[in-house]
Amino acid sequence: MPQPDGSVTDPNPASRDLAAVEAGLDALDAPVVRRRRAGWRRVLGAVLPPLVAVAVFLGAWQALWAAAFWPEYKLPAPLAVWEVFWGRLHTGEALGILWTSVHRAVLGFLIALVIATPLGLLVAKMRVVRAAVGPLITGLQSLPSVAWVPAAVLWFGLNDAAIYMVVLLGAVPSITNGLVAGIDQIPPILPRVGVVLGANRWQAARYVLLPAALPGYLAGLKQGWAFSWRSLMAAELIATSPQLGLGLGAFLHNGQALSDMPQVIAAVLMILLVGIGVELLAFRPVERRVLRARGLAGVL
Amino acid sequence: MEEGRPQMTATLDIAATRTGTTPAVRLTGVHKVFGHGRAAVTALDGVDLAVAPGEFVCLLGASGCGKTTLLNLVAGLEQPTAGVISTRSARPAVMFQEAALMPWLTAARNVDLALKLAGQRRPERRRQVAELLDLVRLGEAAGKRPHELSGGMRQRVALARALASTLGTAAADEPGLLLMDEPFAALDAITRDVLQGELLRIWRATGTAVLFVTHDVREAVRLGQRVVLLSSRPGRVAGEWVVDGLHGAPELAVVEEVNARLREVISSHAAA
Repeated sequence: MPQPDGSVTDPNPASRDLAAVEAGLDALDAPVVRRRRAGWRRVLGAVLPPLVAVAVFLGAWQALWAAAFWPEYKLPAPLAVWEVFWGRLHTGEALGILWTSVHRAVLGFLIALVIATPLGLLVAKMRVVRAAVGPLITGLQSLPSVAWVPAAVLWFGLNDAAIYMVVLLGAVPSITNGLVAGIDQIPPILPRVGVVLGANRWQAARYVLLPAALPGYLAGLKQGWAFSWRSLMAAELIATSPQLGLGLGAFLHNGQALSDMPQVIAAVLMILLVGIGVELLAFRPVERRVLRARGLAGVL
Repeated sequence: MEEGRPQMTATLDIAATRTGTTPAVRLTGVHKVFGHGRAAVTALDGVDLAVAPGEFVCLLGASGCGKTTLLNLVAGLEQPTAGVISTRSARPAVMFQEAALMPWLTAARNVDLALKLAGQRRPERRRQVAELLDLVRLGEAAGKRPHELSGGMRQRVALARALASTLGTAAADEPGLLLMDEPFAALDAITRDVLQGELLRIWRATGTAVLFVTHDVREAVRLGQRVVLLSSRPGRVAGEWVVDGLHGAPELAVVEEVNARLREVISSHAAA
């Protein structure tokens, strides 16, 4: 009888039959994994819809401005906003503004990461710690971090320390809760497998718990970044001082003080762009890889 | 692993001094009680059982007879309330009803993880992973992740991984012990049939002792050399049949007999 790969060497005919049936079952039962479409069509499919949406939005904006329902100082022309934006970019001022804010947010986020990760492990794995601070951390997550600005300014004065304080209070609870949720959602069978394979405590954490909790942890990191960015904007907007340098929040604040609507809109757009940029360039690719490896990437 | 099971390592030393006839696992008067006081539930009530090296024993029983508890005790996942469990190999291989593969690792890396945790060095691991996957006829699927495999293929990877976990601890000539907790219960009938054949082939090829838990009488009689029936709540040994090498009419007769006894055991609970 015809044999598939390799099993010709098997001297036992019954075993050969079994191998053939098994190979057939494997071919029939193995789930078909959908291949991605060809490169340029996929890119086009991902890029075109948002571009069209932006174009429609700009067209509507331009039409409303041309209809002159509102005075110029309330609704400026898209071109006027673009000129402010391009002007700052041209002189290099925009880069300075972006750098001031983004490096603060990234640094704040990294400090939050270092604090929140061990905290999350403690809360997830130690019953007493969870009972003691679990509800507090969840509560802090729903407290708008702007509420901390007055206290931070009174404690530290108008300086970077106050701003980092606000950013940390915004980001740490999110990252902590993300890790806790990630660990809570691990199917209980996986740690048991770790035990029967002979893993000690450290090996169980390194090879089973942490990789299994990674999707939840990443979701927490993403939310943590969003919270640090918003908290930073809130802090910069409220706590303005020459000592603090010109960040995006201060740029926005100046726009309001000068009643310069194009600058206000340009500032809001830049804040939005940083948020989208970090999501698309940093978090999306990592998340996609992690979920795809686990067969969970249906939506991404 | 060893430090958590003092009573086992003690008997292990004695076992090492004897030869051949030492059972792969021996349970003597094993009791297991869950909970305390009035809420206490006795899962196992004085179970005596021995599995010889290389022997295939099927543990049969209805729900709640403590078969899974018994397996967990031998696997070291739980400690007996009373009694002694002694095993020859320091770490038995364990397979559950679900494959429970690490979803982020490929088939090969899942097997590799077991070897790594068993203390094997990297150069040997490469070869061993390939050998183990070939043993379960999944050499081609080494680079696939669990979600790309069928249920039967996942269980075969789980079997390869279970066998891998014993490689580091047992000496080359020492036959191991494979504990299986209804490993084929969640599979469709055709796949189950094929995997039963595969398990018998691998059992003959490796010479490992097998303690196989199931609630399927036919499966137990087909696979096992010996079938042990546990009664339910509390679990006690309620019957034992030697079924090695039976085919055709005698095999069917034993299936009938075991079925009758099983029904008797289950019916006794209606009165209680």
